[in-house]
Amino acid sequence: MSGLSRRRPDRLAARRAADLGKRVEYLAFGLAGEAYAVPIALVAEILKPLPITHVPRAPHVVVGLMTVRGRLITVIDLRRRLRLPETPIDPRSRILIADTGEEQIGLLVDEVMQVYRLAEAEIESAQVLGGDQQAYLAGIGRPEGALLILLDLRPLLET
Amino acid sequence: MRRVLVVDDSASTRAIARAMLEDESFAAPLGGVEVIEAAGGFDAMRFLPRGAYDVIVTDINMGDINGLELIQFIRKSDRHRETPLCVISTQSTERDVERALLLGANDFVAKPFTAEALREVVGRLLAAPASGEGTRSP
Amino acid sequence: MSDTGGGSGKGDASVEKAREDFLSEAQELVDGLSRDLLLLDQQSRHGESDPDLVKDVFRAVHTLKGLSGLFGAVRMAAVSHELEEALDDLRLGRLELGVRVMDLLFRAVELYGLLLLAEKGHGPEPTKDVEALLLGLGQLTHQGEQGPQNQLAQYEIDSSVLGVLTEYEEHRLRTNIKSGVSLYRIRVQFSLSTIDTALDELKAAARPHGEIITYLPSDAGSDADTIALEILMASHAEVETLRAALTGLSLTIEPVKRRGAGRSSAPVPPPKGPPSRLALGELDDADVAQWPGDPARQDALAPLPSPAAGANPPPTVPPAAGADAAGANRDLSLRSVSQTVRVDIRKLDNLMNVVGELAMARAALGRLTDRVRSQPGLRPLGIELHRLQRTFDRHLTQMQNGILEVRMVPLGQVFEKLARVVRQISRENDKEVNLVITGAETEIDKLIVEELSDPLMHMMRNAIDHGIESRDERHLVGKPVVGTIALNAFQKGNHVLIEVEDDGMGMSPAVLVDTAIRRGLVSPAEAADLSPRDIYNLVFLPGFTTKDTATDLSGRGVGMDVVKTNIAKLGGVVDISSEVGIGTKITITLPITLAIISVLGVEVAGRSFAVPLANVEEAIVLDEALVRNFDGREALTQRGTTLPICRLARLFDLSAEAGADTRRRDTRACVVIAAVGNRRLGFVVDRLIGQQDIVIKALGKSLKGVKGFAGATELGDQRVRLVLDVAALIEEVLATDKERIGLKEGAVAR
Repeated sequence: MSGLSRRRPDRLAARRAADLGKRVEYLAFGLAGEAYAVPIALVAEILKPLPITHVPRAPHVVVGLMTVRGRLITVIDLRRRLRLPETPIDPRSRILIADTGEEQIGLLVDEVMQVYRLAEAEIESAQVLGGDQQAYLAGIGRPEGALLILLDLRPLLET
Repeated sequence: MRRVLVVDDSASTRAIARAMLEDESFAAPLGGVEVIEAAGGFDAMRFLPRGAYDVIVTDINMGDINGLELIQFIRKSDRHRETPLCVISTQSTERDVERALLLGANDFVAKPFTAEALREVVGRLLAAPASGEGTRSP
Repeated sequence: MSDTGGGSGKGDASVEKAREDFLSEAQELVDGLSRDLLLLDQQSRHGESDPDLVKDVFRAVHTLKGLSGLFGAVRMAAVSHELEEALDDLRLGRLELGVRVMDLLFRAVELYGLLLLAEKGHGPEPTKDVEALLLGLGQLTHQGEQGPQNQLAQYEIDSSVLGVLTEYEEHRLRTNIKSGVSLYRIRVQFSLSTIDTALDELKAAARPHGEIITYLPSDAGSDADTIALEILMASHAEVETLRAALTGLSLTIEPVKRRGAGRSSAPVPPPKGPPSRLALGELDDADVAQWPGDPARQDALAPLPSPAAGANPPPTVPPAAGADAAGANRDLSLRSVSQTVRVDIRKLDNLMNVVGELAMARAALGRLTDRVRSQPGLRPLGIELHRLQRTFDRHLTQMQNGILEVRMVPLGQVFEKLARVVRQISRENDKEVNLVITGAETEIDKLIVEELSDPLMHMMRNAIDHGIESRDERHLVGKPVVGTIALNAFQKGNHVLIEVEDDGMGMSPAVLVDTAIRRGLVSPAEAADLSPRDIYNLVFLPGFTTKDTATDLSGRGVGMDVVKTNIAKLGGVVDISSEVGIGTKITITLPITLAIISVLGVEVAGRSFAVPLANVEEAIVLDEALVRNFDGREALTQRGTTLPICRLARLFDLSAEAGADTRRRDTRACVVIAAVGNRRLGFVVDRLIGQQDIVIKALGKSLKGVKGFAGATELGDQRVRLVLDVAALIEEVLATDKERIGLKEGAVAR
């Protein structure tokens, strides 16, 4: 009997893992106090803010241009893009270099948190929030009690 | 390791001949095959004095020194007068193939050649004893 | 048998690589074919044809046939096979080079292009075209074979030499002999390590004087490092002339004796007395018996036919000695495409980036060196460092320039393609057009060249479709029946200008305005305001076309506006001028290279920008008192002309940054006078920073909506400076109101 009871939690855990489905790694970052995330496979680099040169007449979401190892990278302020309140750049701000396949674009965020491995079962579709959702909302992630707003990069970067 | 000298001014023909002859399935039973590429008559003449070759494969229609002249030169040289020699021919050089054989070539493959055809001829030339095949010019 | 040939995967990888090599080699062959055919076409119009050219064309097709067979490109092989037969007939004199043959040859080259695309998976299989071409080739009738004249036997050529001539070389020899040349035997020794260059020298020196038939290595004098060659050459020149031409190269030249006749370069005189077997020299029975089935050899036993029988001059003429030497040399330079290497332009860009990084490291090094030098104890070290840094600097600049040069390619590449297109379109339109090209050697950045062929092709189509009149119309107005399109390219400062000028009917301003009104592009009221220049520029509006029936080539009006946009993307502008009845001229102005440009740094509202120096006429100090306001636009009177000005701070909506240098508020602003074409605009800036050469980088797609910037460059401290797109800004600022509305909404409103 004791042998049986010892084995059961393992089998339960294994079955739980199998039930949850395959896992994808998401990088979570903070914007205006909320936690957002994108698949880490699309993030090429994470940089501390470098000098950014303003580009006149560029759309408001564009903070400006910066150079990384000889490459020109356009930097987008995600808070402006998502119409969130902005705070000035502080030591915790970071720039995520996202790779859209066609171009590399810098995303300005308030802070970078951590990487979560989300299983399919831990992701709810954005429809659950009701109403018409923006194309860039990919869903809601709930790893171990945390709440992440998952973003779809391509529609996000279409200016 | 058997050494085969391939003389042809077309880079990709040399490349495909190399692929065909160095392939494991053909080369392994022979103890390995190494293909040395020469881009033409002059190039071949740079290589010839510097090594021993088990078989020489050459195109006929090349600029400057043509294949026939190369064959004559090879058959007159001390080092390679007995080396098995195969020419690459195409239909419009039939008469030239005859001349090549008269000048001392041992065999020929017609372009476009399949891997089987090339390997058959080269394999046979590698296996046969050096003398006694084909006619020689006086 | 312990050592094996190679890894098991090696076979697969090498076959894959071989296929890549095949596609690349095939492409080069087709490109070379195209060039050679154009030359051949030119020659055939003058009734000549260069046998070397025909030989090269034959060999290219021959090689293509072999390659495509090897790599399973069945259609290519089939086309090559038929083509090769026709070319064989051509080079052996069995077929004459006429219009029909040239046409088929050109069509074949186009077909090769399509077939290669299909092979790479970039296009459909051109099955119909293949069938049509094969049919056409099959129908070529052969002329009767030129009677095999055995004049070879007249010359004392060693049978060992004759025996190693390929069929083709023998044909060349006969042809030369028929035209009455002298044969020479040139003996020369080369070192195997330098033979390639030495041989090129020899060929170049010999070429104007005749044709080299073959190179025979002789065993006498050859060893592991040297090779002795016996070269057989046909020439009309005297031996002294040849000796003079080939001095400097250590060789001996001997004329090949003729049997019975005297040594002269006159046409072959009839032999004296009946030829005997012995007189036929070294072609004895034994030799003959070994060469069965060769009709030429059989003739060797028969009495010599009278030389007069060969009355028809052979269709091919060896390059005439002396007189056409200049022409021959020009041909050489066009054809000997020089040793080229195919380079992926991205690799060049990467190299440029690396060089850019090096430049910054050099700057940092410079600063460090200065600091070291200023330390009293380290002075000698500092001087040493400084000297090293100067060397580094020099080499870095050389490298930068070198890479830049590599990106430059001659415009001729694009022009050659156009020649083919012009031929094709003229025939489709049943018009006769002559394309005259000058300045093909003008160089421009490779990236630009690749984008130019479409716009230029479009212009050709327009010129032939709408510009050049039909033969009858031209005759009626007294113009030569053959229309001319002149394509001219030249460098002007930091720009390259390409002019396309036709002698067609020109554009009538009245017709242009009328069409524009009809298509709703301008209102009659607006039309009245248009300057002549504006009227011609109507052609660039989307939706414009003058022909009522849309021809399938250039009918739908998608032409000129796209052309203009494409040119603008390259940083260039297009201008049109025309005269009714005389012709139309389109001028494209392009920057030479997109990569490194000289710029003038300017400061505006605390930010810095760069203005390409190529567009800067001069910079002056702004005297506010001289600024006049004309209905919302500002202008200066400068040296008697009115110069419109534009305040960049206002244009870019920039307010002075907090913390900007307040001292400067008292100093006067500057006006940078920029010009593109004949339009000028003065940009008002706070101050000038200075000149420098920078590497300009393109802005990403994400910023493609932002107008007015040509790119950006990295400054030393990781900051970025935007480079102004002067052409676009001038266009924008000087636009008339309706144009401005059009620019904003993408269509000109009524």
